[in-house]
Amino acid sequence: MSLTKEFIKGIYRENPVLRLMLGLCPVLATSSSVSNAIGMSAATTFVLVCSNFVISLIRKGVPAKIRIPIFIIVIASFVTLVEMVMAGFFPALSKSLGNFISLIVVNCIILGRAEAFASKNTPISSIIDGLGMGAGFAFAMILIASVREILGAGTWLGFPLFGTDFEPIAIFVMSPGAFLTIGFLVAFLNWIEHRRSAS
Amino acid sequence: MDFHTFLVIAVGAIFVSNFVLMRFLGLCPYIGVSKQLDSAVGMGMAVIFVMSMASVVTWTIYTYFLAPTPSNILFKLFMGSQGTPPDLTYLRTITFILVIATLVQLVEMIIQKVSPGLYRSLGIYLPLITTNCAVLGVSLLNIDSEYNFIQALVNGFTSGIGFTLALVLMAGLREKLELARLPKAMQGAPVAFIMAGCMSIAFLGFAGLKF
Amino acid sequence: MKEIVKFAAILMLVAVIASGALAYVNKITLPRIIAQQDGELTNGLKSVLPGTENGVIEPVEIEGEIVYYKGFADKKKMQPVGFAMLAVNYGYSSDIRTLFGVDTSFVLLATNILSQNETPGLGTKCEEIKYGDSSSWWQEQFIGKFLNELKVDKDGGQIQSITGATITSRAITNSISQSLTWLKEEITENNQYINF
Repeated sequence: MSLTKEFIKGIYRENPVLRLMLGLCPVLATSSSVSNAIGMSAATTFVLVCSNFVISLIRKGVPAKIRIPIFIIVIASFVTLVEMVMAGFFPALSKSLGNFISLIVVNCIILGRAEAFASKNTPISSIIDGLGMGAGFAFAMILIASVREILGAGTWLGFPLFGTDFEPIAIFVMSPGAFLTIGFLVAFLNWIEHRRSAS
Repeated sequence: MDFHTFLVIAVGAIFVSNFVLMRFLGLCPYIGVSKQLDSAVGMGMAVIFVMSMASVVTWTIYTYFLAPTPSNILFKLFMGSQGTPPDLTYLRTITFILVIATLVQLVEMIIQKVSPGLYRSLGIYLPLITTNCAVLGVSLLNIDSEYNFIQALVNGFTSGIGFTLALVLMAGLREKLELARLPKAMQGAPVAFIMAGCMSIAFLGFAGLKF
Repeated sequence: MKEIVKFAAILMLVAVIASGALAYVNKITLPRIIAQQDGELTNGLKSVLPGTENGVIEPVEIEGEIVYYKGFADKKKMQPVGFAMLAVNYGYSSDIRTLFGVDTSFVLLATNILSQNETPGLGTKCEEIKYGDSSSWWQEQFIGKFLNELKVDKDGGQIQSITGATITSRAITNSISQSLTWLKEEITENNQYINF
């Protein structure tokens, strides 16, 4: 598979969130505003790319029986790195994402890619795979966050969109809104797929 | 610990900030293992068990090895209680996840040896729990809320109950849903999400509950 | 058995390398994180005690813990401005930490919410600054209020609560009112402001 294809597959066909249903917790918990979504996607993509790269580099020296603990140590180190850098340089973002930064470590996407891709492929294609999956994650997050922020707060990235008379549907920025948004979004994608395969 | 604190933690963990529906932790098994009531109950029991164990173990490790307090064991051992205690709290993510992974393995081996019957019903769910963010989530929450040992245990146990409650309710609904006629695009995960949304609205009613 | 020792050694090595690297990054970022937190408090204190820009704000400790702050308009501590204190209360979904400043007769000068994690779009409006303004529209109403006016309108007070976020509004207002009650008693009992 060419590198471009490697990248593209993560965005739609194998989108980790919308098609594979992986890493749902951070998606639903931190998508109440677009700025949080961007911060979370950037952090996740960074961890994904770095851990994919390192795991691919050391893949030949790692005994098969203890590969999972080693992968977890690598991933957890990068997560801690992100945690510290974020607390030092982006304190506001670090506060609003809270524990979900630490919880990147149990995001199934990252361990999943380490196991399914990085441990079998070259470092370069692993980086590309990480970038593609990260882009897919970011795409899903920003899409869901946009729907929630526009409907639930009447703003996008903090800019008011509708003037003062708009009464926001507050439920969308609260927890039920996250479930409803992703439910209808996945149903919509399924509907498109069904129509495509029917024709 | 007095009964009041216990009640506040328990009601908070089960209803007000339910792990699945309010905190969004442990969603993968919530959508994945909620198709049948039996497996939902099994998974729930396994999670309650592991969450309680993990709360106790991670709390102990954090308090006696990582936190910069005079009772830090490393501080007593290597520095002879001289100077300032080392602050190793930045290692908590990496320590906790390794402890949880080891703990799950250990629990699996012990159950297999001691009670093969229990292993048959819980065993298949245990490996899934390592990457269940609810377990790491409750460990981090115990530290952030500055709970003491017993409060951490109660929080771990009741958070597990909250998770099980949401999972079992969902499984009950989904078994009924098998018989319902749904548009093709809505079948499976989408309708599960929308039902979770409705349940979440119901749980919103508990917000602001005070004693 | 030999295999187990080998695996344990490899895992140990990986763990040591990882924690070594993290210790190094921690050494670099820690001063910044601490500076961030200190800066947040210093700026917060200056904003709730207007008039202390060229003066000093000193912490007052009771039994080794900083309880409140005294502000002066000059470096020699001759012209007192007032007191500042941190009020903490649980709102709808998070602890809300509010810094407030009062003048020497306990009339509110300003408030500043240091941290909160309330519902986006509802509770978070307590910190919202409208486009073109320099301070939060909701917190502006606290300026010039007396202790007995510090209640939300639904409880018969003078503070208008945020639409759809009564719990958040009430939590902040009550936390300020409680802390101020305590501060007033503490200072008048100890005759602090006479020998100010």
